[in-house]
Amino acid sequence: MTATETLTPLLADLYAELERITENTRTFSRLLTTDAKIAQTPKEVVWTLNKAKLYRYVPVVPPAQRHRIPLLMVFAIMNRPYVLDLRPGHSFVEYMLKKGFDLYLLDWGIPGPEDRNMKFDDYALEYLPRVIRKLKTVSGSDEFSMLGWCLGALISTIYASARPDDGLKNLILLTAPLDFSDKQAGGFIRWTSEKAFNADRIVDTMGNVPGEMIDYGAKALKPVENYVSNYVNLWDNIENPKVVDSWHAMNTWVRETIPMAGGAYRQLINDFYKENRLMNDTLVARGEPIHLANLRASLLNIIAESDHITPPCQSENAMVKVGSTDKELFKIRGGHIGMMAGSGAEKNTWPHIEHWLTKRSD
Amino acid sequence: MSQKNDSVNPFDPTGMFKNMRDSGIDAWSKIMIQLVNTDAYAQATGAMLDTWLATSTPFRKAIESTMTQVLTNLNMPTRNDVTSLAERLTNIEMRLDDMEAKVDDTLRAARKPAAAPKAKETKDAV
Repeated sequence: MTATETLTPLLADLYAELERITENTRTFSRLLTTDAKIAQTPKEVVWTLNKAKLYRYVPVVPPAQRHRIPLLMVFAIMNRPYVLDLRPGHSFVEYMLKKGFDLYLLDWGIPGPEDRNMKFDDYALEYLPRVIRKLKTVSGSDEFSMLGWCLGALISTIYASARPDDGLKNLILLTAPLDFSDKQAGGFIRWTSEKAFNADRIVDTMGNVPGEMIDYGAKALKPVENYVSNYVNLWDNIENPKVVDSWHAMNTWVRETIPMAGGAYRQLINDFYKENRLMNDTLVARGEPIHLANLRASLLNIIAESDHITPPCQSENAMVKVGSTDKELFKIRGGHIGMMAGSGAEKNTWPHIEHWLTKRSD
Repeated sequence: MSQKNDSVNPFDPTGMFKNMRDSGIDAWSKIMIQLVNTDAYAQATGAMLDTWLATSTPFRKAIESTMTQVLTNLNMPTRNDVTSLAERLTNIEMRLDDMEAKVDDTLRAARKPAAAPKAKETKDAV
């Protein structure tokens, strides 16, 4: 064998390897700079007010097989709610529709400068009652279930405590930040409890708090995972279409940061993180004292064991304070978002919610 | 969001490099999580943010007042004008929503007596 004959296959291998690396780099770049198609489940707008919209998902099962009580989903105010309907084949919305639920999603929208004074009081006691009034009209049911996630769970809890006779039958809380008594539990509470952290000054200077600042805060809790490992792991799995699609959808959702209304941010830091008013029974919303003991709906409180944004202790202590007699605390492996949007959610979290709710929805 | 390949071939130098890289990242991650959870980090972050807000506020205010003057001189609406208009629109929307609720209630009340004889007719037919 001549030297040329030996070299040719080696060069061909090298060329193929270079081509593979080039193609992977292209894919990597595309994933970082483009948006995946998310939130694909068909839905219609049934109500709007200011930036808020109430969507009704188009049912996929015949009326006779549907549950009587509709489910309203309330997401946080500083992210888009589409994480509940991430991508076809991996969507909580799709899953619940197939199980016969009449599903409604509240999208708070993106606050503008004119919304800088909006507080949790407004979200829970001005907007949510209007949403529920419309939901009852559209669905024809006087009773309803509500699922709140993260700050959406806080808003839902305030509403459920203030309006216990408004038809709320079942309340599902996901990673609900309710109790801030442990000042060592997690990064957020350590940072914001500092005297040097002046929420009033931030809001007075900026009006609404920029989405980038909130996003940085969340990512800084696990800086290496969010800024390094996330991309290294993607590169390692760049030839696996399943992982790539999942990463792309999640990254599309994560990249869409939205500002948080200044009034709500000020209240979150001062009234909740620093003074723990909801748990101390000193919260007053629109002149009404809010007591967790007045919350009487059946309650499923779901906690993610590895949640670094809402550590488990911020949710579990509320179980003692609520007035519900039918209540369950469910702990699940995973993080703040992964428990509902991760690859394991379809096998663990979603079936548990569906079983619990099915028993109470007819 | 992604999967890790835990199987490492000891005779594969690339695999060994990957293993070392992952161990390094894990250790770095643990150190950083510990660091951001210290009181010193919280104090430093709070102080930095406060300093930035204190120093940037005068510039921000100067830009705002200049822009307001320029827009006013050009007979253009300022940010405050647009914001107050948006607030008024929201109030109008709220009133419309209240009216819609009243119409819904009235329609519901009107439908109830009409629905009763219909149900009776169906029963009679059966």
